[in-house]
Amino acid sequence: MATTTTTTATRIVAGGKQRGPRQLGDTARAYLLNAPALTVILLLVAYPIGYSFWVSLHRDNLKQPAAKRFIGLGNYTSLIHDDAFLKSLKVSALFVVVVLSLTVVLSLALALLLNESFMGRGVLRSLVLLPWAMPGVVNGLMWRTVFDAKTGALNGFLTSLGVIDSYQAWLSSSTGAFLLTALAQVWNTLPFAVIILLAGLAATPSELYDAAKVDRAGVFQRFRQVTLPWLLHPLLIVLILETMNSFRAFDTIYVLTGGGPGDATDTIALLDVRTVLTYTDFGLGSAYAWVITAITLVVSVGYVSLLYRKGSFEV
Amino acid sequence: MSRLNRAATAYPGAALNRRQLLRLASLGLALPAAGTLLAACGDDGGSTATDGTVKFEGWDFEPKLVQQNIDRFTGLNSDIKVAYTPITSAQYVQKIVAEFTAGNGPDALYVYDDVLTGWVEAGYLQPIDGLPGVDDVYNAIYASNAATMSYKGKRYGLPYYTDSQGLVYNAEILSKAGITAPPKSLDEWEQQAVKIKNAGLMQYPIGFYAQRQDTWWAWLWALVFGSGGALFDDQLNPVMNTAGSKVKDVLAWLQHATFTSKVIDPASLQIVSAAIDPAMMEGRYAYTIGARYSLSMYNDAAKSKSAGKMKMGMVPSLDGTTLGTVSHTRMYCLAKDTKVKDSAHKLISYLGGFDNEKKPYTAKFWFMQEGLGFTFKALAQDAEVQAKLGKFIDPAVYAKLADVAKARNVIAAPWYHEYETEQQKVVQEVLSNQTTPDAAAVALEKAANTLKSKYQ
Repeated sequence: MATTTTTTATRIVAGGKQRGPRQLGDTARAYLLNAPALTVILLLVAYPIGYSFWVSLHRDNLKQPAAKRFIGLGNYTSLIHDDAFLKSLKVSALFVVVVLSLTVVLSLALALLLNESFMGRGVLRSLVLLPWAMPGVVNGLMWRTVFDAKTGALNGFLTSLGVIDSYQAWLSSSTGAFLLTALAQVWNTLPFAVIILLAGLAATPSELYDAAKVDRAGVFQRFRQVTLPWLLHPLLIVLILETMNSFRAFDTIYVLTGGGPGDATDTIALLDVRTVLTYTDFGLGSAYAWVITAITLVVSVGYVSLLYRKGSFEV
Repeated sequence: MSRLNRAATAYPGAALNRRQLLRLASLGLALPAAGTLLAACGDDGGSTATDGTVKFEGWDFEPKLVQQNIDRFTGLNSDIKVAYTPITSAQYVQKIVAEFTAGNGPDALYVYDDVLTGWVEAGYLQPIDGLPGVDDVYNAIYASNAATMSYKGKRYGLPYYTDSQGLVYNAEILSKAGITAPPKSLDEWEQQAVKIKNAGLMQYPIGFYAQRQDTWWAWLWALVFGSGGALFDDQLNPVMNTAGSKVKDVLAWLQHATFTSKVIDPASLQIVSAAIDPAMMEGRYAYTIGARYSLSMYNDAAKSKSAGKMKMGMVPSLDGTTLGTVSHTRMYCLAKDTKVKDSAHKLISYLGGFDNEKKPYTAKFWFMQEGLGFTFKALAQDAEVQAKLGKFIDPAVYAKLADVAKARNVIAAPWYHEYETEQQKVVQEVLSNQTTPDAAAVALEKAANTLKSKYQ
């Protein structure tokens, strides 16, 4: 046994890379050991994704089984003239911008606060996590109660402060419905961003702050010169994941407004679910899903190319 | 060595390399497509029953009463087992579609009249012509209900219930404002509401459920039909934008009553159909448009604070003389691929047909319990039914609403749901002052024509 080990070690050292029948066996064994996991992934992830694309190349509405046929990119080209799709895309883009901006600013502020040492920090950190544990539908129902025009807490709060004279129907105007829906979405997803940024802050070496203080750097300079550069990669993760989340946001919006008033909150995810499950148009619905996927992929790659290098700086 | 790499070594997990990031992004991005696909995977539907149990599903209206009735059925038919699953109304259509698509559909199920044709075309349902007792049922029910449950000359459903929409009003609130009779015209309705408002009884006397939803806005169809208007002709061509269309006038009234006289609650846009019942029972509104059977609950002292005060009138019209409204039919159907057809048929015959004494036991059961409208003509003469009717509604109004009601012809179109969604969106724009009634009519006409072309 000892002889074999020595021989193998010698071959690695001499050749720089492993070669020979023993190494081929290791590779095969690795594939063998990974085969169950790979099979599951292929069945549960790759196959549905591939099948989804195949469906998107068909006219496939369950209400018209006789009309089912392969139409190539027909579903995709039809989107150019699809008013509902174009409007929902615009709403989704705006929704992403608002949700992302609020999430980044608020999560950064919260993470900085929770990174400080103060009494009750542990409790506060635990409480911050609560919204994340709440399912989207429950989140929607909760905010629906808060925004209620007759009994809502928001109306009660603002009335008691004297900000408004009478209860308001907050979700009945386009702007109000859009902004409050975005707020409900932010509340639900904010904790995840806080956790990521908090981990980034914890990973920032404290000696850098000490050195900055010695150099008489102020609070804002320390934030700009030390904190922010070290948070670029956590921020990148937050941006990618929150962009995906807000672009695919469905349950909270569905419960709060159903996409209205008019089409003020009719996002692409709502349109997609409605197209597939209410209109039973699986072909077009799958095309919508792939467009969502493609757009989030492009945006994510954009984030990576913009921010990744900025975080890779030399000492 | 870069500071980033050093940090990554010192704090494992604190940083990711580009490849890891892209992998993470790819995995996350796969989710939307996977979500759609999971629904799309599966065969063409059908039952998975293997032990002879009838899988029965319906929306969640009074599930305890449904179970109670099913228990009675299984007591009478000891060789049949029934597994009943109530599904939340808001997701009923989606859930059933997903189940049939995944090959895990029920054997027998509730069906809305406005999804019948789509589900027949999708291959979910089978015709019931020729099955025992079906002819007897169809001969005993109103012709309009029989027509609604048929498609392309074949019968698909046995009746659950039918109902019509009427003007629901709180007589006590009207009385406090000095109003003695419900309005006949839309203008009179608005004036009465202003009177109630000016009397300081409530800020917004009229409420509707006007949040976008997957099911229809019955009140809007009732207002249009109530004024003798139509949205589609017999060939399902849109007529809401033609000369003399009543639709534009009804929309104009809605906008005027919302923004000029301010008697329609702007919060209606936040109200889903299930929320209008508690609002009326709590006395939050003086008026709404609702189904006749809703008065059974509104006037039930065990459930409603407004019991005894709630009444129903004819739907107010533009000219004050026209009478009309909309009706709907709910039915029991058989899945096309059920493997327990005989048992499932016995179940829906029990629920939607006659009992051993040749009486529509379940239809009467629902009327007596919840006031659900019946399709069997003979029940109108039943002494118990008449006695019950008088307890919650004026029998003359009840009968008159049934007489003048008509079903939506457009539900036969495969694109109906897309149109209904568009209609709700456009009417919301009217109710939130984002568009004019004329522009709304143009938008609805365009939407209907686009859908017709798309489905040709």
